[in-house]
Amino acid sequence: MPTITIDGKELTVEKGKTIIQAADEAGIDIPRYCYHPGLSIVGQCRICLVEVEKMPKLQVACYTPVMDGMVVHTQSERARKGRKDVLEFLLVNHPIDCPVCDQAGECFLQDYYMKFGLYDSKMLEDKNKKSKAVPIGKHIVLDSERCILCTRCIRFCDEVSKTNELGIFHRGDHAELLPYPGKTVDNPYSVNVVDICPVGALTEKDFRFRTRVWYLDETNSVCTGCSTGCNIEVHTNKKREYKNEGRRVTRLKPRFNKDVNEYWICDEGRYSFTYVDAADRLGVVMKRVKGELQESTWAEVMPEVLTALQSAKENNKRIAVLGSPKMTNEDLFALKKFASQTLGVSQMPVTVLPKEKPFSDDFLIREDKNPNTKGAGYLGYDTDHKATRKLLDDCASGGVELLIIFHHDLEAGFETELVKSALSGAKTVVFVGSNANTTSARATYILPSCTYVEKEGTFTNFAGRVQKINRAIEPLGDSLPEWTIIRNLSRKIGKALAYFEAEDVFKDLTKNTAAFSGMSYSAIGDGGLVAEENGKLKQGDAKAAAQKTETATA
Amino acid sequence: MSFELTKESKLVIDELLTRYPNKRAAALPVLHVVQKQHGYIPAEAEPLVAEILEVPPVKIREVLMFYTLFLQKEIGKNHLQVCRSVSCWLRGADRIIKQINEKLGIHDGETTSDKQFTLTEVECLGDCEHAPMMQLNDDYIGDLTAEKVDEIIGKKGQ
Amino acid sequence: MSKNGKILTPLIENDCNLLENYKKFKGYEAAKKALKMSQDEVIEEVQKSNLRGLGGAGFPTGRKWAFIPKNSQKPVYLVINCDESEPGTFKDKYIVSSATHVLIEGIIIASYAIGAHTCYIYIRGEYVEPARRIEAAIKEAYDAGILGKKVLGTDFNLDVYVHRGAGAYICGEETALLNSLEGKKGWPRMKPPFPAIEGLFRCPTIVNNVETIAYVPPIIQNGPKWFADMGTERSGGMRFYGISGNVNKPGIYELPVGTPLREMIYEHAGGIPGGKALKCVVPGGVSAPPLRPDEIDVPMDPDALAKIGTMIGSAGIIVMDEDTNLVEMLMASIRFYHHESCAQCTPCREGTGWLDKILQRMLSGGARERDIDDLYEIGDSIFGNTICPLGDSAGMVAKGYIDKFRGEFEAYLSKSIAAKSANSPELKKAS
Repeated sequence: MPTITIDGKELTVEKGKTIIQAADEAGIDIPRYCYHPGLSIVGQCRICLVEVEKMPKLQVACYTPVMDGMVVHTQSERARKGRKDVLEFLLVNHPIDCPVCDQAGECFLQDYYMKFGLYDSKMLEDKNKKSKAVPIGKHIVLDSERCILCTRCIRFCDEVSKTNELGIFHRGDHAELLPYPGKTVDNPYSVNVVDICPVGALTEKDFRFRTRVWYLDETNSVCTGCSTGCNIEVHTNKKREYKNEGRRVTRLKPRFNKDVNEYWICDEGRYSFTYVDAADRLGVVMKRVKGELQESTWAEVMPEVLTALQSAKENNKRIAVLGSPKMTNEDLFALKKFASQTLGVSQMPVTVLPKEKPFSDDFLIREDKNPNTKGAGYLGYDTDHKATRKLLDDCASGGVELLIIFHHDLEAGFETELVKSALSGAKTVVFVGSNANTTSARATYILPSCTYVEKEGTFTNFAGRVQKINRAIEPLGDSLPEWTIIRNLSRKIGKALAYFEAEDVFKDLTKNTAAFSGMSYSAIGDGGLVAEENGKLKQGDAKAAAQKTETATA
Repeated sequence: MSFELTKESKLVIDELLTRYPNKRAAALPVLHVVQKQHGYIPAEAEPLVAEILEVPPVKIREVLMFYTLFLQKEIGKNHLQVCRSVSCWLRGADRIIKQINEKLGIHDGETTSDKQFTLTEVECLGDCEHAPMMQLNDDYIGDLTAEKVDEIIGKKGQ
Repeated sequence: MSKNGKILTPLIENDCNLLENYKKFKGYEAAKKALKMSQDEVIEEVQKSNLRGLGGAGFPTGRKWAFIPKNSQKPVYLVINCDESEPGTFKDKYIVSSATHVLIEGIIIASYAIGAHTCYIYIRGEYVEPARRIEAAIKEAYDAGILGKKVLGTDFNLDVYVHRGAGAYICGEETALLNSLEGKKGWPRMKPPFPAIEGLFRCPTIVNNVETIAYVPPIIQNGPKWFADMGTERSGGMRFYGISGNVNKPGIYELPVGTPLREMIYEHAGGIPGGKALKCVVPGGVSAPPLRPDEIDVPMDPDALAKIGTMIGSAGIIVMDEDTNLVEMLMASIRFYHHESCAQCTPCREGTGWLDKILQRMLSGGARERDIDDLYEIGDSIFGNTICPLGDSAGMVAKGYIDKFRGEFEAYLSKSIAAKSANSPELKKAS
């Protein structure tokens, strides 16, 4: 492996890597516009110029491969001047309209100007005029004047989404980025081009003029749009809540995970958070009074639910539970434990397959639109759709006294007639969920639960990777995490679950579920850990887990 | 509006495609064929060419907008492409351009209303020994003088 | 070789675009000879001849050929660069139009030497008639068993195709040419890989200029020493010099490498019309930084010109007399780069446009005090920081004119500013 020196720091680098990749690994910051680790390398923008000893010209760090004995200077006078010159060129025809640009605050032009520009512009000529505020897709707006022609978006559409919508037309400083006439950038991954645009050329319709980015807080999380479990950042605006227009999550951004989604997320997942503050969001405890659902309180409803449970148990009537693969591992574990220990429920279905096969591809979008089907399986749930049907059949035939349903809209997967007779077959239907649907509308009690941005926990993706979600905003209204609701029930009936935080549940879970054995929140970290059916962590992961636990405790 | 290749054009294209190990390489020659047939390359031809060459249409559009010889709209019958590069400039290219501006009332990129002439100021055509010069459609005409330009315009304009 | 010692000129003068005529000049005898030699022997002969690329960069031809990997598993390509677009350059046009068969013979020898069985001649789209002539000569050659299967009765197969460009100076840069030949925009490629390793269709490729290849048959025919002895120490033989601008006899002149520039202007090109004084001369196409009258005793040799900060480039000499406005000349040069910049990398894309705007403004009465320094600084900032040499050229030219003729630029500026101030008291105050 070649050994090179960057800014006096000696590094041993894998052969075939380029200077910028070596620098990234060593935490040395070299500016970049066109370079993106998820795309091919083109060396076009020239902002990453560095001085390499024994080479007469400045070299682009993104493209120049490391060679043994190479000595690189990123901060020499020549390198700094080279970058300053490139920056000045980039701004020759740039409108410098930062005050009205949504990219302000996360713009590489601004950032680098502050870092090593800081010159007085000598550009006195008229700037070239190009297309402005052009909607180029359902979610994307293009400002060609701000575009620095780095071609990141083009390469994304050519190499990642493979949809080829964008091109650069004409030559010289008249060259302009545009979609092919009549075509729009509406591929299932389109908004990634906004993420990777280093300037304000491509902005997101949904985010434009909503808030300044410096008011945003970022929370690491996992997308719940499907079972891929793409790593995301949840951006929220708590500093200027009055700007939110009733929407507490401002946007989602993909978060790098080389084992899951790399740099990308799909548009479906990106906008999947809207249910958090949707009109159908359940924030209040409800109960049915004279056939009508009415607002109530935990204090009023909990004893009633407990009584119903108690009476069913005492009269040896059957209690049935339908979990949901939208619940975290913690929720599912607590539920399973409570149901089997206290309620005597052994069959635990979770799956409701939609009537129509949803869209999926061979990249990130999976058919299973639930974040935790795999985890449910590990935790002993029956993930077969047929098991759910059997449960409904039982209810319909009057064999069930009390039914607890988590989240599901049963009509999405079953005939309306069956759903109706099942829900009327049970004497008491308790619905626990975050959003109202046709099932909650028929429930006896509605217990509102948190959405994934309001709680902590873990999901297990389709490949068995256990990943952490974190609380980004406060729970809405009366809503509580599902495990908390279960815990609260358990305190009054049977054996109390002694959990105070999600992590307590997780600790209990790892001790009692082979697949999760040896895991901890700190070991899961930001990247996740892969669970295995036989209970053993993959070797690499086990090592990493051990190390992470060590560092976390140290 | 739709665009179709003539039988002759199709035959030429079929032969062109045999010259390269992949179809895309024939992009420039194929676009030349389209332009020869139609006078310019209409937008409707882009998807057709893309289909023949098995590339996304955007790649064809990028190409045809990159090269100055590919035209995207109809031009005059006589395309006056006057060289304005250094050697021609030294020998009065600016006067030739001005003469055409005044005589025909058209400037760089413009076409006379009778569709007889289009003027394009072009960069070096590799005929500097005959400066100042122009390309009239396919042909080079060198050692231009005011009289010669008058003659060209007079003859062709009829 | 004719009596006056010229090599290719007699072929041009005797319409060697026709096989019949070329046969009278021992046409295709060199190819027959080469096909009996080993590939390495051919490369060695070319190396010994000191033939250097005559398109602009001047890289030793034999050395370039030797870069092709031996026993390549992939096909090898020869590409002939006839994208002649450097302002002041017009020599290849003559060779492909009227000495076409010597080019085809050179192609056979070069292809054989590097192991290529396919050759593309990339010719600029504007050269309509020259392209027709090449097509006709290729057809003649196929019909005569000179190209195609079993070249000249040997086991060597070779197909040659003409590929027309469509108007883009940048495609004279070899990697842009390769992209163009692959049906893409003419955006230059990053190097490495160099074309000899990964060129056309990602296969080993040699790109040679027309004139370079045209000299290969006479070298094989007459031996490398014969050619090397004609030139200078490191640059063999003869080459075509194109002279244009303010001279009495503009045209191409085939003369030994190293012929003094003064001799070119005052003897071969017949001096400056009206007996006017020389102000400035560009020795190798617009991309070569200009020279002052006191520098024209330099021999037209790559090394000698490099020593005085310019280059032989394509040997297209542009002569400017005493009446020339150099601000205008710089504008015409920069406008060219602006027009031809491919848009791929930042310094060239933005820098050429910026320089052009400043010069246009200066020439339309809006000159500012600092314009000269700005032009110089911008040129300096482009230079060395781009993917291909187009940006370098623009930078060098801007700097070159100011370095050599600063006084002239300053005088223009003062005159222009004075005129502006006289017309506009307000502007005077503001400046």
